[in-house]
Amino acid sequence: MTQSKLIPLLSAAALLLASSPLSAMAADGATLYKTKTCSACHGKDGKTPLMPNYPKVAGQNSAYALQQMKDIKSGARNNGQTASMKGVMHLVTDEEMQVLSDYLATLTP
Amino acid sequence: MNTKLHISIAAIFLGLAFSTASMAWLEKGGERDEALGLTPDLENGVDVYEVCAACHLTEGWGTKEGTFPQLAGQLKGVLVKQLADIREGNRDNPTMYPFALPESIGDAQALADVVAYIEKLPMNPDNGKGEWAAGTAEFEQGKKLYQDNCVKCHGEQGEGNLKEFYPLIQGQHYNYMLRQFEWIRDGKRRNANPDMVEQIKSFTDKDMQMVINYVSRIPVPKEKLAPSKDWLNPDFD
Repeated sequence: MTQSKLIPLLSAAALLLASSPLSAMAADGATLYKTKTCSACHGKDGKTPLMPNYPKVAGQNSAYALQQMKDIKSGARNNGQTASMKGVMHLVTDEEMQVLSDYLATLTP
Repeated sequence: MNTKLHISIAAIFLGLAFSTASMAWLEKGGERDEALGLTPDLENGVDVYEVCAACHLTEGWGTKEGTFPQLAGQLKGVLVKQLADIREGNRDNPTMYPFALPESIGDAQALADVVAYIEKLPMNPDNGKGEWAAGTAEFEQGKKLYQDNCVKCHGEQGEGNLKEFYPLIQGQHYNYMLRQFEWIRDGKRRNANPDMVEQIKSFTDKDMQMVINYVSRIPVPKEKLAPSKDWLNPDFD
């Protein structure tokens, strides 16, 4: 293979490598947001919650969202409307919570 | 205070006590009867169902691991009763509560529309089942427990009873039924039928698993099932 052919091939491979984990994560976040039923209460876009006293989550800081999810799941946080959310949190693993909180941070508030 | 007044006060308290007790299982009248007497609009039923579909899925199949029950094929009277019970605070379900409120679901007409739509949805041919296949000792014991304790109300095939508000249980997910059964036995599900609480009070955990295993394996008549477990509801695409 000549160098002129190799360079575009390598750059394409590099692009693929660089972009695929990111796009996979974004897609997973969007899918998880729906399949784990987050969208049911927080709205499809993360900013049209079902009830006026449910929080908007689009654009939320990832570390904060992650901590709240973990605490609601474990019961360390049990105030407010957490009883509603605790009922579904056994469906979500630590790894998925990370993907979800990263996804939320990418949404426009 | 005269005797007459005493008697009427006592009567009021007695009346309150009775109405509270009866409300736990079945409150007749009100929006339950109203919704069941209305002519449903199935097209509006699809629109109303969208809010339910976020958890119970567009097919109404719930989740196989049993967090969300299958609604497809459920008797409409049962659906109205449970929705009304949840929204009146008579069945504790904090996750579902806000969805059952009038501002989320709508009035009696909306209830009539959505339950008529759900009742006609084809059922999941691949519901969550218990671990004991037909022929095992546990399956057979579950079958016997079912015949002795459940068949009179829930029917030979777990088809339920519309008139009496007894749910269809055939094709329901194992884990969901197990959880509800345990809550009914242990008094945690407040809208349980007191006759059922009495009937199952001596069930051990193993009895409970065996009988629910059997119910999860009662075959659903083919005409009620979707053509495959990959069927997608064409009303939502």
